[in-house]
Amino acid sequence: MSRVTAFFVAALLWSVAAHAAPDARLVLPDFAGLEKKATDSVAITLDSSLLQLASGFMNSSDPKDAATQQIIKGLRGIYVRSFTFDHDFVYQASDIEAVRKQLEAPGWNRLVQTRSKKTHEDVDIYIMVENQQAIGLALISSEPRELTIVNIVGAIDLDKLRKLEGQFGVPKLDLDSASAVGGDKQH
Amino acid sequence: MSEDLESKLREAMRPVAPRRELTDALISRLTEGRDGQEASSAAAPPVTRVTPARRLQRPVWWLPVGLAASLLLAVGIQSLHEHDQREKGLEARRQVFEALRVTNQKLDLVYRAVHDESKS
Repeated sequence: MSRVTAFFVAALLWSVAAHAAPDARLVLPDFAGLEKKATDSVAITLDSSLLQLASGFMNSSDPKDAATQQIIKGLRGIYVRSFTFDHDFVYQASDIEAVRKQLEAPGWNRLVQTRSKKTHEDVDIYIMVENQQAIGLALISSEPRELTIVNIVGAIDLDKLRKLEGQFGVPKLDLDSASAVGGDKQH
Repeated sequence: MSEDLESKLREAMRPVAPRRELTDALISRLTEGRDGQEASSAAAPPVTRVTPARRLQRPVWWLPVGLAASLLLAVGIQSLHEHDQREKGLEARRQVFEALRVTNQKLDLVYRAVHDESKS
């Protein structure tokens, strides 16, 4: 086999492997119907170029900016859809069924699931791991008057994410303990 | 009758040499006019004819003005582009913070649920 043929075969195999590699990017539905019903909606779509641009406008000497820069350095995208309603359960479970279906695909692992019968605050956190490195995070939070879906694509350093907690007025979260509990957590 | 008229016309239209005074007066007037023209042309600046070659050598005012306008336009476009990029960058930065705020807010729900579970 000539070197040229070997090169093309290697390139072909690499291409197939690259396409076969799991992709942590979720295809988020349009949610146009929910947007009409919502009193407040947030739609954030940040691809790698926008993340890079945003990083350039952060001040490295500012602790919050510096920590954020460290987090988004290895990311390829952040996608957020959040809807707030003025009535309880305006949305249906079927509205996010398409997203849940994608999270059943190989590669995704449920990290945490919380169910609150009292407040009806349900949160599911999924993570995609490759070579012992988180390459994607998905979060579905459903509350009576709020529905939020977060999809973070790229090398996520949970330690850095944890360090950022508290900077937005949110207390620290022990993700290691949460996953150590056994992933699914219901109450 | 007609012969009489004809002879009268011939008499009237026959060539007559001008009088000496008239000739002198005309010559003196012509001389005066030429002298006056020469005097006035001596006082006025000389009129130079501009040939096409000399016209090219003349400084062109529009060339530096055009260059300056082009430079200003380029600077303006660059400034607009930078302003646009800055707006985009600041908006992307705001969205990153908003996304992380929403994410952390939801992680807080998990934290509280896990914390309550571990306490009970």
